[in-house]
Amino acid sequence: MSNTDKSVVVSHVSKSFGDVVALRDISFEVGRGEVIGLLGPNGAGKTTMVDILSTLSLPDGGSAEIAGYDVVSDPAGVRRSIMLTGQHVALDDMLTGRENLVLFGRLQGLNRHEARSRSDDLLAEFDLSHAADRLISTYSGGMRRRIDIACGLVVRPEVAFLDEPTTGLDPRSRQSVWDLVADFKSEGIATLLTTQYLEEADALSDRIIVIDHGAVIAVGTADSLKERTGGTYCEIVPRNFKDLPAVADALGELLSDKSRAVLTSSSDRLSIPAPDGATTLAKALLLLEAAHIELADIALRRPSLDDVFLALTDETISDIGPKPSSAKSAR
Amino acid sequence: MRIPTAVRPAPAPWQQWWVLSGRVIRPTLRNGELLTPPAASVLFTIGFYIPLKQLMGNFLDGMSNYAQYLLPLIVLQAIAFAAVSASFRSATDAVLGINHRFGSMPIAPLTPLTARLSASVFRCSSALLFAILCGHVIGFRFYNGAEVTTAFWLLALMIGVLLSLLGDLVGSATRNPEATSHLLMLPMLVFGLLSVGVQPVEQFPGWIQPFVRNQPISQFIYALRALAGDSTPAAGAVNWSVIGPALGWLVGTIAIVLPLYAYQSSRRR
Amino acid sequence: MAVAGGGTKAGLLFKGPRAASRESYERSPWRLLVQIRLQTARILRGWSRDVATTIEALIVPIALLFTLDIVLGKAISQVSGESALYGSVPMVAMVGAMSGATVGGIGLMRERTDGLLSRLWVLPVHRASVMFSRIAADAARIFLTTVAILCVGLLLGFRFRQGIMEALIWLCVPVVFGLAFCALINAIALYAAKALVVEATGLLYALLMFFSTGWVPLAQYPSWIQPAVQHQPLTYAVEAMRGLALGGPVLAPMAGLLLWVAAIVAVCAVPLTNGYRRASMRG
Repeated sequence: MSNTDKSVVVSHVSKSFGDVVALRDISFEVGRGEVIGLLGPNGAGKTTMVDILSTLSLPDGGSAEIAGYDVVSDPAGVRRSIMLTGQHVALDDMLTGRENLVLFGRLQGLNRHEARSRSDDLLAEFDLSHAADRLISTYSGGMRRRIDIACGLVVRPEVAFLDEPTTGLDPRSRQSVWDLVADFKSEGIATLLTTQYLEEADALSDRIIVIDHGAVIAVGTADSLKERTGGTYCEIVPRNFKDLPAVADALGELLSDKSRAVLTSSSDRLSIPAPDGATTLAKALLLLEAAHIELADIALRRPSLDDVFLALTDETISDIGPKPSSAKSAR
Repeated sequence: MRIPTAVRPAPAPWQQWWVLSGRVIRPTLRNGELLTPPAASVLFTIGFYIPLKQLMGNFLDGMSNYAQYLLPLIVLQAIAFAAVSASFRSATDAVLGINHRFGSMPIAPLTPLTARLSASVFRCSSALLFAILCGHVIGFRFYNGAEVTTAFWLLALMIGVLLSLLGDLVGSATRNPEATSHLLMLPMLVFGLLSVGVQPVEQFPGWIQPFVRNQPISQFIYALRALAGDSTPAAGAVNWSVIGPALGWLVGTIAIVLPLYAYQSSRRR
Repeated sequence: MAVAGGGTKAGLLFKGPRAASRESYERSPWRLLVQIRLQTARILRGWSRDVATTIEALIVPIALLFTLDIVLGKAISQVSGESALYGSVPMVAMVGAMSGATVGGIGLMRERTDGLLSRLWVLPVHRASVMFSRIAADAARIFLTTVAILCVGLLLGFRFRQGIMEALIWLCVPVVFGLAFCALINAIALYAAKALVVEATGLLYALLMFFSTGWVPLAQYPSWIQPAVQHQPLTYAVEAMRGLALGGPVLAPMAGLLLWVAAIVAVCAVPLTNGYRRASMRG
């Protein structure tokens, strides 16, 4: 038992499966009540990371601590402190929802009465009371996910691992999972959320860790990551694309050299950096009006997390070096 | 150019059949499933023959030796075992949903079935071959001419087709592979034991003799025994009264099962 | 999900004992027993709801017993002078144990691929509770199916001619044999691919069945194969049970059976325990 205020501490963890390096030198921390989004394409190493942190796998190098317990030397302590839900862990299909909840409760130390009343509470909370006595094999996808999460909450965890929790869910179920993550936050439970959905990471996480090919390639809030790829820009589309050089001249110094450099004879639009947001747009509009150039569209655009992600993983390819061709097509 | 632009080829049924058959047969060549029909043949041979040879020595109904008497049952059990594996395969298909996918492709409804049956016949043939080989080892011989012997092989294969068809139908309907294969092992063993394969009708308690005499397995065995022949006339003559009932069961069951199968696969659409 | 005020809902969601008070769960022997009991109940409940298990463990043996009695009953009693049931009932009980074990093994494989074993691994329970609960569930299943088969045997004319004590031990012999077989099957199941397990074990127990004295008396086998028949584990079990029910040597066949069981368990113990760990962890 330790009184650190960091719920998860990962320090230079590496893991290989034969020749394949799944994780290389990963380090990060998660504080109490923080929601960390672990983002990356398939095969990036997210699931391997979660496996190591939940004692389903042992790291080859480095160390990790959950709630102060080391995953290698005190896995029992880790297991007392976590809840895990995800694609690759499951419930007993031949039992009903209620039976599963009671089983998990009693295995974790609740007595019969406590386990029953706790499962009743959870069933009500997760809107599963009507299906409580049906076999889990008859549940829909959304219901399965809810009962899966409910089984993780029978006793209080310190750290929650949600491995792709909304994959394959309908929008309503997805929203209810998002609400749950907000509740985790307010309860001071640290959450490690693995996801492929960029808007999910954007909406839920305090910080995002981007992983690709086993390495951390970026860490930061969603906003700071978006800033990294150049921030807000103003996109200008002239009505006649032949007017583009004229537009470029009219904008003068608003147009950066970089933007000027990417213009080709077949471009139909250009972008200028808009550090002042709407003010820059207003300036550009005035300049263009003065030059009597007709516009089809002018708008402020923020890079989406998609752009960030693609840009970051693009960098990885050039940074880390030649990869097997499957890397590119995986994206 | 990710979207194909060439003209869509017209699917040829034979080609589809060949590909689908290969799909079922190829894995068996790799993962050892091909070994089980021969192993089963050997098992049934030694399992029935060795313990029972002495016990049944006096109840041969006039035939020359127990091997001659017993072989038809060994052949049927071995073929039935191969057919049960067919049902396993088709149930796996149903569970994995590939049947459903095939349903939406331009494949004639019976083609996947024929492909799976071809694969089953392949396994049944190997089971049959090994059963005969084992029979040869314990003393079984063909006593009639080449034509009649060919009829023996054909009848055995047709029974294999029938059992594969039944197994496939049950497999697709139940959708639970493990339950299916065990569900079918039982009738296989019980029908085999409650027939004239192991001992003559008179050795059974009186109340069950009519069942034993008339059930299809016994009819198949009478027919196969007659076709194989014996050094004594006790095997039965090769005429319609002996072979007829077997063919009747065969044709009748197939005539009922095929429409059932067509109905069932169309219903799933 | 019910949408209540954030504070109330969150409090509702997260009550319950906290980590510190559950310090000893993974190591306490008392808690191990509780965990085993809970998990055994889980497995048995699942089996009772599964058609395949019921058929395999119960209906197949009962049908087989009836069939054997009809087909071979007369011939064997003529030759050996006593009812064939004293051999066939024990043998069928063992067959029931073995086929139930096969279904159990397949179920174990399914739990591995579905991820349930991983889920249980991540809980703060004793590492051995999963394996022991499986053993307990198998023992319970075998005992129950033996009782059912015994009832059918009684219907057909089987009688205990020795005492109550002997009858009780009679009921336990299939459990001992069956558990050894289960250890073997589960060890294979934790390492192998599916079809292989089903067909190979089917062939194995058919082999054991055909060449045991529960099928036909020893003297009926050709002399060259009699030693093999006499010393295989199923025969030892059948003979021990015959002695317990009818009268005759009990110690010798029991000793033979126990030697076999010890040997099988000794061979399977390490792969089995490692197999559970391998199947639960993911590398």
